[in-house]
Parts: sequence; C-alpha cells; structure tokens
Amino acid sequence: MPDVNVTIDGHKIAVPAGTLVVEAAKLLGIEIPVFCYHHKLETVGACRMCLVELTPGPPRPQTGCTTPVAEGMVVKTLSPMAVQARADILEFELVNHPLDCPVCDKGGECPLQDFTFRHGYPTSRIDGPRLHFKKPIPLSETIALDRERCVLCYRCTRYYDEVAWEQELTVGQRGVQSFITSQFDQPLQSIFSGNIIDLCPVGALTSRVWRFESRPWDMTHTETVCSKCAVGCNVNLWQRRGQLVRVTSRENDDIDEGWICDRGRFDYADVNDPSRLRTPRINGAKATWADALTAVAGGIKGKGAKLGISLPKDITNEEAFLFRRLLEGPLKGARVKMHGRTALPAPVGATLRIKDLDAARVIVIVASDTEDDVPIVNLRIKKAASKRGARLIVIHPDGVDLDRDPRTIHIRNAPGKAAAEVRKLATHALLKSPGGPVAILYGDGHGSEEMADLAKSCRELADAVGGDVMPLYRATNERGAIEAGVGGWDQLDGVEALLSWGPPPTAGIPSSVKFMAAWDHLPRPENEKSNVMLPATTFAQRQGTYTNLEGTVQFLRPPIEVDPPLKESWEVLTELGVALGLNLDYAGVFAIQREAAAAIPALAALAQPPSPEPAPDPVLIGPAHP
Amino acid sequence: MAELRGSFGVARNHLLTRWFGTEDLHRLEVYESKAGGYAALRKALLDMKPADLVNEVKTSGLRGRGGAGFATGVKWSFINRDAPGPKYVVVNADESEPGTSKDRYIMENSPHMLLEGIMIAAYAVGANQAWVYIRGEYDGPHRMLVEAIAEARAKGYLGPKPMGVNYPLDIQLYRGHGAYICGEETALLESLEGKRAQPRSRPPFPAVKGAWARPTLLNNVETLSTVPWIINNGGAAYVKFGTEKSPGTRLMSVSGNVRKPGVYEVELGQTFRHVIMELAGGPPEGRRMKVFWPGGSSAPVLPESMLDTHTDMEALAAARSMGGSGGVIVMDDSHCVVKAASRLLRFYAHESCGKCTPCRVGGDWAVRTYDRILANEGSQVELGILERVADGLQNGRCLCGLGDSAGWVIDSTFRHFREEYEDHALRHTCKVGSDA
Repeated sequence: MPDVNVTIDGHKIAVPAGTLVVEAAKLLGIEIPVFCYHHKLETVGACRMCLVELTPGPPRPQTGCTTPVAEGMVVKTLSPMAVQARADILEFELVNHPLDCPVCDKGGECPLQDFTFRHGYPTSRIDGPRLHFKKPIPLSETIALDRERCVLCYRCTRYYDEVAWEQELTVGQRGVQSFITSQFDQPLQSIFSGNIIDLCPVGALTSRVWRFESRPWDMTHTETVCSKCAVGCNVNLWQRRGQLVRVTSRENDDIDEGWICDRGRFDYADVNDPSRLRTPRINGAKATWADALTAVAGGIKGKGAKLGISLPKDITNEEAFLFRRLLEGPLKGARVKMHGRTALPAPVGATLRIKDLDAARVIVIVASDTEDDVPIVNLRIKKAASKRGARLIVIHPDGVDLDRDPRTIHIRNAPGKAAAEVRKLATHALLKSPGGPVAILYGDGHGSEEMADLAKSCRELADAVGGDVMPLYRATNERGAIEAGVGGWDQLDGVEALLSWGPPPTAGIPSSVKFMAAWDHLPRPENEKSNVMLPATTFAQRQGTYTNLEGTVQFLRPPIEVDPPLKESWEVLTELGVALGLNLDYAGVFAIQREAAAAIPALAALAQPPSPEPAPDPVLIGPAHP
Repeated sequence: MAELRGSFGVARNHLLTRWFGTEDLHRLEVYESKAGGYAALRKALLDMKPADLVNEVKTSGLRGRGGAGFATGVKWSFINRDAPGPKYVVVNADESEPGTSKDRYIMENSPHMLLEGIMIAAYAVGANQAWVYIRGEYDGPHRMLVEAIAEARAKGYLGPKPMGVNYPLDIQLYRGHGAYICGEETALLESLEGKRAQPRSRPPFPAVKGAWARPTLLNNVETLSTVPWIINNGGAAYVKFGTEKSPGTRLMSVSGNVRKPGVYEVELGQTFRHVIMELAGGPPEGRRMKVFWPGGSSAPVLPESMLDTHTDMEALAAARSMGGSGGVIVMDDSHCVVKAASRLLRFYAHESCGKCTPCRVGGDWAVRTYDRILANEGSQVELGILERVADGLQNGRCLCGLGDSAGWVIDSTFRHFREEYEDHALRHTCKVGSDA
C-alpha cells in the first residue's frame, strides 16, 4: 500500500498506511503525550491523554493513539482545543495523585512529571483530600505497587494478558475506587513480572531491589547484553559509584522487542556483594598474580585427561578463543565441562533467527519448556500465536505454559522418545499445508533425550515441510563456546587436577581431585579447599562478545571498570598461557577480536567492533519512556 | 398480574401497546390467537427475503429507542449478511437509565412481541443466534422471558427449522450483574463475553467487530418490539405517525412528581405538556412544575417554561436536550435542583467504569464539590470547579457517553437554574421547599 501524506502542526510527512497519529507525530519529533498507549500493546484509547484536533473530523478532539492516518489528514496538537483538552486530562490525573515526587523512585524519569511541565496548567486548583490507599503493596519480592500513584493506564494488566499470557494482575472495584491488584492477593510469580516496572508510566510499579537507591541523573549506563542465558536480550546496565544498581531493557526488535525476564532484571546482587574476592590466594595466603598463576600452571600443566576444567556459562568469545589456544597446547587432552550447557550438538547448517518466528505459520517446540529455558523466545512464540495466528505444536512429557492457548496441540512423549514423535509430525494435518514457513525449536529435555538423533529428526522434518530449525541453547555463550571449540560436555569424575572457572561444577568437586584452582568472584564453601584462588570479574565488568542461540554476535559494554588488583579475564588467560609456556601477547581485547575473527568464521563480526562511545543518553526521557 | 400503569387497549397511537391488558398475553397461544402474534415472523420467513426486511425497516424510518436514536434500518444494513462465519444479534435489555422502565413494561406484558422482533431481525441480518442481555435486577421480566422462550422452542418457532424454514434460530438469556455501564453497547458486549464491563474504543463498531469479534447487531428492546408491527403493516404505514424525521410512536416512562406515573405510548411530535400534564396528570395538588428530564437523567434538563417542546428528536436537539431513552422525570417546585443534580452526579460517579480519566476522576471530583456546596462550605471557587469539570467531561474527552451525560447534568442545571447554585454556593442558603 502506498504511503499516506499527512500534515501535523503544519509539517508535512509521508508515512506508511495504517500508522497511528501518535507514531506519525513521533517521526516528526512532535510529542503527543500518552499513558495507556504503548507501541507493543493493543491500543485502548483509555487515558484520553493524546487528544488532538483532526481535520477532517468532528468538532471534538480525537485520540491520536486509536486513529490511523488518512490521506490529506491535518493534525493539530497546538490548537486551543487540543491544548486545553490535554491540560484538562492532566489536571484530572493529578487530582488524586499523591505529592510523592520527593520520595518516588520514578522522579526524574517520570512521564507524568514531564507532561505536566510541558502540557499541564501552571497552577493547581486541587484543594481537599485525595483518594487514599494502603501503600506500598509488595506484589512480590521484587516489585512494589503504590495504588495512590497509579493512573490506571492498565498497561500492566494488558501486558500480562496480551504478552505474557498470564492473568496475574487485574483491576478491582470500579470507577474512582478502581485499583490494581494481584489475583487473590497472591505474590506475582511470573518470570516476566519485572517488565511492568518499565511499562508503568508513573511510580506505581517500582523495583524493590532498586528502591531508594538513586536518582536517574545520578547514574550512568552502558548499552550491553544480558549475561544470564542464550537469548542475549539487549539491556542497559546502570551503575552508580561503581555499583550495579539496575538493569533495564534496551529494546531490540530482532531479539527481545523490549522485554527482559526477571533473571536478567533482578539477579545482580552478587556484583555488589562486599565479600567479593579481590586478591589471589595460594593456600589461603595473599599472593601476587604472578605467583598465583605460576602455581596454577604448575598444578595443571601436562596432566592430559587427568585435568578437569569447568568453564563458566558466560565465557566470552574472546576468552573462549584464548582458552582454545590453551586446550590445543599445554592443556591438551583435558576434560572440559561448560557450566549450564545443554546437551545440544553444534549447529549444522542455517538456523532460524528469533525474528523469523514472527512470520512462522506453525511453530513446533520439542523437548523444551521455553518459559523456563529461553523466556524471551517464549514471549515471541506467544506473540506469533496470539497476534499473527500461528499454530503451536508442543512435544513435551509435561504441560507447558503454551498450553494456555486452546489451539495448541500438545503431544506428550515418553521421555527419551521425542525424536520418534518429531518423525511422525511429517504427516500431521497442520504441516501438510502450513500456509507459510514452519519453525522447529528443540531443546535437550534437560538430559532426557538423545540429542544427535533429535537434532537430526528436527532437521529432516524442517526439510520435509518447508521450514527451519532453532536449537535452543541455554548457557549464555553456549553457541559461541561450541563454535570456538571449547563448549565441553565431558564428565569430570576421576580427575586429579581441577581448574574451576566460574561457579563450582554442578556435580560437585570430584573426590579424586588433588590440586584445585578456583577462579570465581564470590567465596563459596566448595572452593574453600582449593590450592589457588583467583578473583574473577563479574558480568558487569566483562568486555567482549557473546553469540546468542541464533548465532548473532553481540558486543558487551561493561558499566563498571575493573579496578586493580582485579584483572580482566582475557588478561588472566594471557598470563596463564604465558605461565604455561605459550607465546601470548595482546594489547587489548580488540587485538584478540581481530585474531579470532580471522581464525573462526562464526566470529567474523569481531573484526568490526562498534564505536567505543555509547549513544548519547536522552536527557528528558528515561528508559521507561512512553 | 400487577395493575397496568400506562397505555393499553385500542387507540390510534397504540401501535405497541394495543393488546396490553389482554389476559395471559404473555402466553404464546394467547399472543397468537388474540393479538395476531407471530404473523409477522411467518410473513418474514415464508414470504420475504432478508433484504426486503431491511428495506422495510429502512422505509419505516424507525430510530433506535435505547438512547442514541440511530436509524435502525441503516444499522441493520451495516451487517454484511454474506460474509463467512457467524453473526449475532444482541438485545440490550439492560435498561438502567434513571427514569426508564419501558422495556420492562414490554417484557412483562408481551414478551413474545420482543421475541418475534428478535427473530425477524436475526433472519434479516443473517444471524442464527441471539442473546438478550437483561439487567440482573429484572427478576420478573427475566422469568417471563425464560417461559416465553421455552414456549417458542416447544412450538418450533425457535430451533433448527422455525416454521418449517431451514434457518436455525435460537435466543439465549444473559443476566447482568448490576452496572449501568452495561447499557453502553460495547461494555455490554465485554460483559457478555465474560470480561470486565468497560467500553471499547470505536471504531471498530459492533456491526463489524461485535460479540467475540463477529459482526453483531445490537438493538434496544423497544426497537425490536416495534419490528413485528412494521412487517405486518409496512414501513410506509409507520411513517404516517410521528414527524418526518422521527416517525412512529415511542413509549415514554413518566415518573417523579406526577399524579399518574406510568409508561405511555406517545406519538412523536406531541408536546411534553401533553405527556406530563394530560397523560400523567401533572404535579400533585398545590404544587407547580419546575423542571423535567425529557429522556432519562442523561438528557439535559428543561425548565417548566419549555413544557411545549415537542417530543421528536429534532425538537429536543433544538432545545439543547435529547430524546434519549424516553424516561421523563418530573420535578415540582418543592425540590432543590442543586440537590437533585448532586444526587445524579453521585449516581454517575458510582457507575463510572473507571476506564477513562475524565469520567473516573471528574465524576468523583464533582461529587465532592457538590458535597461542599451543599454543606454551606462553597464559594465561587466551587462553582468554577463544577464548570470546569463539566467542560472536561464533554466534547469527546470521554471514552463513552456516561461521562458526557454527567457533564450535561451539571451544564444544563447551571444553564437554567444558575440562581439556585449561587444561592447555595455564594449565599449559603436554599430558597426551595422546607428551607425557604
């Protein structure tokens, strides 16, 4: 369809047909304030904040968020009618709004504050008692609700209904007595609950983890990638005085579409833990890095298969590349186990991108509870089903949350028999003529499936029905580590020497271990017996790249610097390599990136790191901008 | 059966109420044998095509009797009969507009007349399933409808082959749970779907996306009950009554300070003086008319000096009011208008669904301001607040008409009785009734 010409406040613009008036105005840099409108949710026209004057149109203001542009439409946001309508609505919103700004965490990045300054009346006529509610209400351990501040835009309840497919929040009572409440006053349990904090345009839904921590202008942030799982959602990490103080979404429509899960949002207390390790130790006594690394090298060199190595799930591509040099050289033969890995083999051939799920007509999910394994991909599947009519076929022994769609076909396989069910699907009615691309996502059933056969059966099905596969890796840089050749899956029992990098192995420290070097950021009981302790940096300090499950290489930008005596991981690996007899010398991460890009095809993107300066921080509009 | 308070029997303008008062009219066999019932349905199913039915209703010029007064035939034509998939008819029997009891009058006296109209409408727009959304408080009418539907099913008029025609028809009932907002058509649909009753943004309109996103015809009880007469006698005959733009008759529920409150069938174009003073007997001995609401509490008030306003929609629009639901509320000079307006605002604030900001907040703010005025704590400031709230509630600010109606109460009482407001707010006195 051809573009539509529309004039807004005298400025002409051509936009795609179907564009809403508020979005067209945004393209021109004209702000039409909104509360209930959100570009990722269905429009409702509830708050009446976006009233504008439209010609042709009735002699009354119309809501810009429910009106798509029409050819030749003239929009006036600055006419007396529109200006007064907006000021009146703002006045109504403020009638019962508490004077909490000095103690409200939203202050400084609050659309209600900003709109009142820019569009509201300069003086208040509100005199008399305001509506009161008991506050704050702890909705969960991480989210607090303040009903007095709530402007009843319903973004939170609509998000839960439309995006997360859960009904954890609802509205109680009606009229001016309406309030947001959780079902039966139960605490929120969804892994997707934290997004309502970013959605809420006022300080009604706030993070308890970040409560009273700082003002927006006291923080700086970097644009980086989450370190918790293989989806690789884009996030902003905010720091204040060297502490990581909060995590918000940095909307990337190719991957996360502006959502992050609660693991990514709230699990960072360890970064600021005062008991974090800072100096190397040999047998409990403080040591220099040189001495400690010499001791490590002495304990692990030349042990062959008697050496066990546990790698962290969030090892970067650069670190993985360096580690491969060690594994091909002085540590040859060692058994390697990557923490948090799935049993999935290396990707073979083309795999789907997350955004390809949007176009899929049928999505087959095998051996994975995506809500738990790859949460934000789970949201994308839900979007394809509810907004684009995609059909879902689930092959899993237990019920999964995708069953909430009554059209979902759930095949309960006996554990270990998923591949057989996949092979039967080739003749399924839905897949005979799916009417478009088919997406086949497969996990590892948490160890219950034989993966080589399952992967093969999925690829065969994809070829047969005109589709593609997406292996659902779970560990943060699982795909990157596998492609770099270090994503190990070996068992570690029976080893005599152990290099434990990251959290201790889930199976525990083997009793046969005689020498142990632990490289971790927190003291842990399992590491107390180690011969050498090396302090590790946290994810908030790590430079480098991750490869997410779809194969996209993403660059990290740490918000917190590595302060001595801590050393960056790539530096430690370089020095360890030297201690082990290798000739390694790198001036910085970029040098490693150049070499890795040349050596490993999957890491070709490392040759072009983005500019070191992050994009400038928009001043008035914070991360939860409308 | 209770005493019939309103029109019944033979009269030139008794199109709907002609047979009311006949013993057992609510029984199918009586409705058929004594009142010519189901002849229109027979004619529609056996002798006419759906397009003919729509044209007949268009010719009649019948306008919706629920409140908005939209041309019914035009509304029927919005449903695309040939589009694939089910279409529905939903009957608005929520009747919660203060001062309105005409739909109850019909359902209690002649439920089959309503059912017949529903069935003809369903056939006309290509629907096989109809729901009657009846307000929860209407226990009696609900029982009458349950029995009438059972009779119609037993007789085969509802079922897979009504009157032998291969066009399945069924009617189901859904009871409301006590909310005025469910009279708003899209909020009604939300409630019917089992969701929280809050209006939807329009467009899309129910004719395109209604119940469960299907094309839906939504009509008021009285509107549909008029259809059998139109099919029996022809649309051209209906136009002979009433005025050019508001043809026909309508049931007006007259209540308040009148000697004979009741539901009267009135030919459109008659004056309110005829309705209030002649049909309803005017105010009691020793009292004078003061103010009346011509179409439910949502219609802007008219003072006694405008009693000669005609009852058709155009005349009322010219008088800066509206026909609304035809619920005529009469108040005499023993009552204070400010108190009445305050009581009404309390109703609107209580019934506000809370979805849109101006109605949710403005209604409550108006109530609190009225409270201060009536407690003799008012001043020019409070009057200013009421005027600004009234402004903020009207002119497209709100998502549905509930907010507008609340605004009109304030607006119209200010317009005609400003002095009473100033007495209360500025002079802290009331010159009406016992306080005089």
